[in-house]
Amino acid sequence: MQSSRQSQQLARHLCHLSLDDGTVSAPRVGAVLSFLQRHPPRQPLTVLKHYRRLIARELARRQAVVEHAGVVDARILADIEAAMSRRYRRTIAAVTRPNPGLIAGLRIRVGDDLYESSVAGQLAALTVSD
Amino acid sequence: MSTVIEQIEQQIAQLSSKAVRKNTGTIRAIADGVAKVDGLSDVMYNEMVQFPGNAIGIALNLEEDEVGCVVLGDVAQLKEGDEVFTTGKLLSVPVGKALLGRVVDALGRPVDGKGPIDAREFYPVERIAPGIILRKSVSQPVLTGIMAIDSMIPIGRGQRELIIGDRSTGKTTIAIDTIIHQAAINRQGLASNDPAFRPLYSIYVAIGQKNSNVARTIASLEAAGALEYTIIVTAPAADNPANQYIAPYAGAAMGEWFMENSMDALIVYDDLSKHAVAYRQISLILKRPSGREAYPGDVFYLHSRLLERAARLAAKGSLTALPIIETLAGDVSAYIPTNVISITDGQIYLETDLFNQGIRPAVSVGLSVSRVGSSAQLKMTKQVAGKLKGELAQFRELAAFAQFGSDLDARTKAQLDRGSRIVELFKQPAFNPIPIELQAAVLWAMQNNYFDPIDVKKIVEAASHLKEFLRTRKSALLAALRKNAAIDETLGVELKKALEEWKGSYTG
Repeated sequence: MQSSRQSQQLARHLCHLSLDDGTVSAPRVGAVLSFLQRHPPRQPLTVLKHYRRLIARELARRQAVVEHAGVVDARILADIEAAMSRRYRRTIAAVTRPNPGLIAGLRIRVGDDLYESSVAGQLAALTVSD
Repeated sequence: MSTVIEQIEQQIAQLSSKAVRKNTGTIRAIADGVAKVDGLSDVMYNEMVQFPGNAIGIALNLEEDEVGCVVLGDVAQLKEGDEVFTTGKLLSVPVGKALLGRVVDALGRPVDGKGPIDAREFYPVERIAPGIILRKSVSQPVLTGIMAIDSMIPIGRGQRELIIGDRSTGKTTIAIDTIIHQAAINRQGLASNDPAFRPLYSIYVAIGQKNSNVARTIASLEAAGALEYTIIVTAPAADNPANQYIAPYAGAAMGEWFMENSMDALIVYDDLSKHAVAYRQISLILKRPSGREAYPGDVFYLHSRLLERAARLAAKGSLTALPIIETLAGDVSAYIPTNVISITDGQIYLETDLFNQGIRPAVSVGLSVSRVGSSAQLKMTKQVAGKLKGELAQFRELAAFAQFGSDLDARTKAQLDRGSRIVELFKQPAFNPIPIELQAAVLWAMQNNYFDPIDVKKIVEAASHLKEFLRTRKSALLAALRKNAAIDETLGVELKKALEEWKGSYTG
């Protein structure tokens, strides 16, 4: 258990080193990975898994994943980017992901936050309230 | 006018189609009813979280990278990668009179097959106990119907009285007897239409018990007509530890509703040893640091915050708590028993040896105490039982010494004789509570030496004969005793007359 905790701590430290001005920097991540290859820690796989999870979370914080059932034009995406950047006070880039299961509407995910305005989401809410 | 309505409706439509923000996370690991969740960055401590398939959980461990949640419900359907949502709400359970006569689980959902519960109010499971200013001292009795307890270890409304003892010593029986007796008092009081009468509703929380035991308890309450004044909250041994951990708090929330609404309630936690074990299990899975007997550091707080919720409030009602603790081989100095002993306002200690000797209820007079209840004792009980505890304690001491020698002086012999008679008199079968006026009459007879000519072995029989005699032939006297709640000169004379009459009629 202790070693797992130490691995988590090391992964957190490495994640911190991978940020440049608060954003994940590809060259820094590369440098961290090559360092780990040269100097493998005690539990390399555990450390790398934790590191991957933390980096993925950092990336998700700066990205608005827009799931959509119909067509989303560039203007709407730009609006979403602007609104989210304003809300979170950091630059957020929007990426689209088609999802016909939504029936209609949008579902936007920024980090842990989910903005649901799809028909499928509303139907799911109705099922829960029943 | 219709255009105005349309405008409002348009506004509502716009609002209802607005995006809903949820904070989410994903299950990273799940085992033994505890899920480790990645994400949920906005979750609050003790907040309810929504798992797929309508399962809910509580966020108990907020760590830097993950959240530890206990899952209340079926964990078998959950898997790694499932999405979890925050709800922004604390766990709440239905409360109110609609729950009376029902058997519910730790979340207040009915499990008795009697259909849905029409509860209109919900109380949070975790609540801060009432403060000092709101409280009032204990001055009204909770009558258990058990002579040994009502006379020597009285309990008051708002008190916390621990019932402690080894397995199979009659701990649950005492609690059930009390519920049955209170139901009988409620029936009588409500039928009398006395505006000053305050019924006492009961909540029985079964934690980590066998389903067969819970079914037996329900059957006993139903047979005695006590179920209609009782709520049963059950988290049996087969339930996951999270439900067992939550159940007493859910029961306390239901009891608090009665207290807040100027009513009185009694709650039985059966038992807190199993509750502590369930909490230890959760804590170990959550990887919280463990301390003595592998319990987490906050196991005292686990029980103190629960039992502090029992109180008597000024200008409101009361919540009396009867927690039960099971000891191992009579060890009252173990971790959990000492914790709960120090929290409560007294304890009823049941001894295996006494139980095996046939002394039931097996109350150990020396180790049992009620710290506040005596101020709630009725005057007539004080009059007849004031010296009983001392006499019995003396008897136990002398009896221990008498084993070593046969030559005893007359005074010691008399004390031993009297003590053994009192012990016999306190023997009482299970689920057979005795009304307080009848208890007072029998004890008055004992104090006035009416049992002295009777052989010790026949005291139980004589006492039941006397009770039957008073019930059937002197009901007016009993009613007067109940009304007065004190034995004055007139009642003393009447009691004497009645007992002389009984003495003449008893041929045993």
